[in-house]
Amino acid sequence: MNNTRPVWEEKPTAVGLAGKGAVLTVMALVVLIPLWSVLVTSLSSRKTINDAGGMVMVPKGIDASAYVTIFSGGIVTRALWVSTMVTVAGTLVSLTLTVLAAYGLSRPGSVGHRTLLFFFLLTFLIYPGLVPSYLVVTGVGLKDSLWALILPSAISVFNLVVVRGFFQGLPDELLDSARIDGAGEFRILWRIVLPLSRPVIAVVGLFYAVGYWNVWFSALLYIDSNDKFPIQRILQSMILQGQSPNFSGQSLGSLPPTQAIKMAVVMVTVAPIVLVYPFIQRHFVKGVIVGAIKG
Amino acid sequence: MTPPLAGAATNRRRFLGLTGLSAATVASGGLLTACGEGGGSKGAADDTNKLSGVLPAQGKLPDGIPQPDIASTRPVPDGYKKYPSNLVDVISDKPGGSGKEISAMTPAWGPAPPGLGQNAYLTAVNDELGIPVNFSIQDGLTYADKLNAMLGARDVPELLCVPQWEVEKLPRFADAVEALFEDLTDHLAGDKVNAYPMLATFPTGAWQNAVWNQRLMAIPNPTDGPYPWGLFYRKDLLDAKGLTYPKSIDELLAIGKQVTDTKAGVWAFSDIFAMVQMFHKSPASETGWRLKADGTPEHKYETPEFKAALEVMARIYKDGLVHPDLAASKGGDMKKLMESGRILFMQDGIGAWQGMQAQQQKVTPSFNLQPVPIFSATGGDPLVWGDDKPISYTFVKKGVGKERVEELLRVVNWCSAPFGTKEWHVREYGVEGKHHTMTADGPVKTDLGFKEIANQYFFVSGRSPVVQPWPETPNYVSDLLTYSNEMVKFMETNPWDGIKLEFPATYKSQTVPYEDKITDIVRGRRPLTEFDGLVTEWKTGGGGNEARDFLAKARSDAGK
Repeated sequence: MNNTRPVWEEKPTAVGLAGKGAVLTVMALVVLIPLWSVLVTSLSSRKTINDAGGMVMVPKGIDASAYVTIFSGGIVTRALWVSTMVTVAGTLVSLTLTVLAAYGLSRPGSVGHRTLLFFFLLTFLIYPGLVPSYLVVTGVGLKDSLWALILPSAISVFNLVVVRGFFQGLPDELLDSARIDGAGEFRILWRIVLPLSRPVIAVVGLFYAVGYWNVWFSALLYIDSNDKFPIQRILQSMILQGQSPNFSGQSLGSLPPTQAIKMAVVMVTVAPIVLVYPFIQRHFVKGVIVGAIKG
Repeated sequence: MTPPLAGAATNRRRFLGLTGLSAATVASGGLLTACGEGGGSKGAADDTNKLSGVLPAQGKLPDGIPQPDIASTRPVPDGYKKYPSNLVDVISDKPGGSGKEISAMTPAWGPAPPGLGQNAYLTAVNDELGIPVNFSIQDGLTYADKLNAMLGARDVPELLCVPQWEVEKLPRFADAVEALFEDLTDHLAGDKVNAYPMLATFPTGAWQNAVWNQRLMAIPNPTDGPYPWGLFYRKDLLDAKGLTYPKSIDELLAIGKQVTDTKAGVWAFSDIFAMVQMFHKSPASETGWRLKADGTPEHKYETPEFKAALEVMARIYKDGLVHPDLAASKGGDMKKLMESGRILFMQDGIGAWQGMQAQQQKVTPSFNLQPVPIFSATGGDPLVWGDDKPISYTFVKKGVGKERVEELLRVVNWCSAPFGTKEWHVREYGVEGKHHTMTADGPVKTDLGFKEIANQYFFVSGRSPVVQPWPETPNYVSDLLTYSNEMVKFMETNPWDGIKLEFPATYKSQTVPYEDKITDIVRGRRPLTEFDGLVTEWKTGGGGNEARDFLAKARSDAGK
């Protein structure tokens, strides 16, 4: 009898384990060290930052004044509120539209579903262009409205395909039995399909939420009022402020925010994603892989 | 040479490329062609010497403005070492009469200030104007993207600021100007400008640049300094090492090696390529052109001076004399490294000097930032890059009606009052006690002042340029003007002086991609041997030959 097993089923050797551990440790450090430096710098005094040349690795006391400044009701606080609203509203809108569209497109009997799917997929290949998009957004009166950050990108076709694939993987018998019991399509979707689709909904929801939280280019184009800027617009202008043009009599930048404030804004920007991710992580592989390989 | 923003723009372009948005940017550039058919794609040249009927008559400064303490050689502005004790009130009538809100868009670098209704500075100035001006403040680093979309969609505010360096990047801008903005010739030409006496104080050279298609289309914001770049060094740190600033390229390299101490975390330089080019007398007029002995235009890429500078800068990178954070990307925080002494030399705009000195001397009392006088790497007199093109232009939206145009011009006129007037003081410093405090040496902005004032009105106007005093840095005006007046003797002569050029679209659009490739060579990401092939490719694919023909024709058409 042949007892040879594939190599990945063998018990790993000590060297192999150590090697994997080392590689994973290095990868973790590559991610964590910059984050650590950003955190420490955001909590450092101006002198500590100056001595370190910009980014601090070794903390010398804690100075939370940067966080006090950004949460004291200025433009950063407002931008955080705007981003939160856009993320919550946008994710809800996007998930609703994506689920409804994906369900319809996943049912073979839906009217015109192949044609509709073709048009959806066409947007993968053809981008409408900056100026036409701008004309549409301004034409429908969304200019300088937070809806301009949500509606033009309300459905991501990639996410739609993933969700549709997941829905197609659900056993037809299950849905048929619900139909025999008298359930309509909305009831089937709400009572049967969605409870079974939590992994993919969670993952796609995270994709949407991260997308809305990170919205920057749409805000650059469509938002004119400063009090409607999302946090990424503020972060970008703060981080790149050192590159302002200068003229002999007049430096055109305003008083630069301290490095600590810049890094505090980075932390505040990154924190929600970092905090939410662990709760979604368990759905991640299942949600993406299942949705991707079926359909 | 591109202005200090070039790096950022390039970074964003690369970022857009990675995210697949480059197609969008390209589309936007292309769609500017929707603004009309014409010569924009092939370039356009206006001989400003033939525009006397279009330009405003030169007016004098208002009575009561004190004489400057330091008189300069133009285009270097005069300077004041003391803030005037008596400010002149030059405009008694409020310029706004309709009460209808004015929409305006201006750039800002750094956190956007609060908007109308939440900004006491805007309230104060709008009260003086007698009309609310509502600013859309857009990030200066991505201003071109916003402009591209707005111009393409023909969606512009009543007053639009377009910085000079964006004009150079926007394809077919002359067509957009004709389609979207009011022709101001009939309002400002000749003696008509007397209705707006503050605008009449602008130098004629600035107005010449505000002409498109032989018509006066914008209000220029005259520059207050001709030099795009300076090489700054930490004098306090060099003094402590017993060293002085370099006076030759060999000394520059020697000092670079001497002060670089990687174990101590200290490197000599930021990216100083523009300065190295200047030291080698590489040309810079009109994006890097000069005339050969036979009168043919020659781009810097084709000159031995540029190639020598390229080799020197590549060696500086290869020898590890540039801080690794700055060598790795164009987005590194050079100023922070300079402030902390992690680098001892940096190339920056001249205006960086005062701000850094004022801020950093509070943290490091001995902090002393000084510019290295320009030297020649090849003998003879040095060559200093510079021009007197305006900082920006203010355009008035087309079709708002004659009365509204006049009201907008009165507002711009108020905002253009010169140094020494009450209007200028309010525009620059807001309300005393709120936005600034008065010291014996002049006004000093408060935290609220820094938060709320972001050059909003400055960018929809102009002023007769001067170098103003700063109480925090009492030696600055003398130091700056000593350096500037010394350097102006060696300022490059522009063979296309008096001709306003809009380069062919291909050349414009290919400038940054080829500069990126040159940057790759400088930083060792491409071999030096590729340079000659790149130049050959640039002449055809990059629009070099087309630009050469265009420049030659522009001179011959102007009778030069």
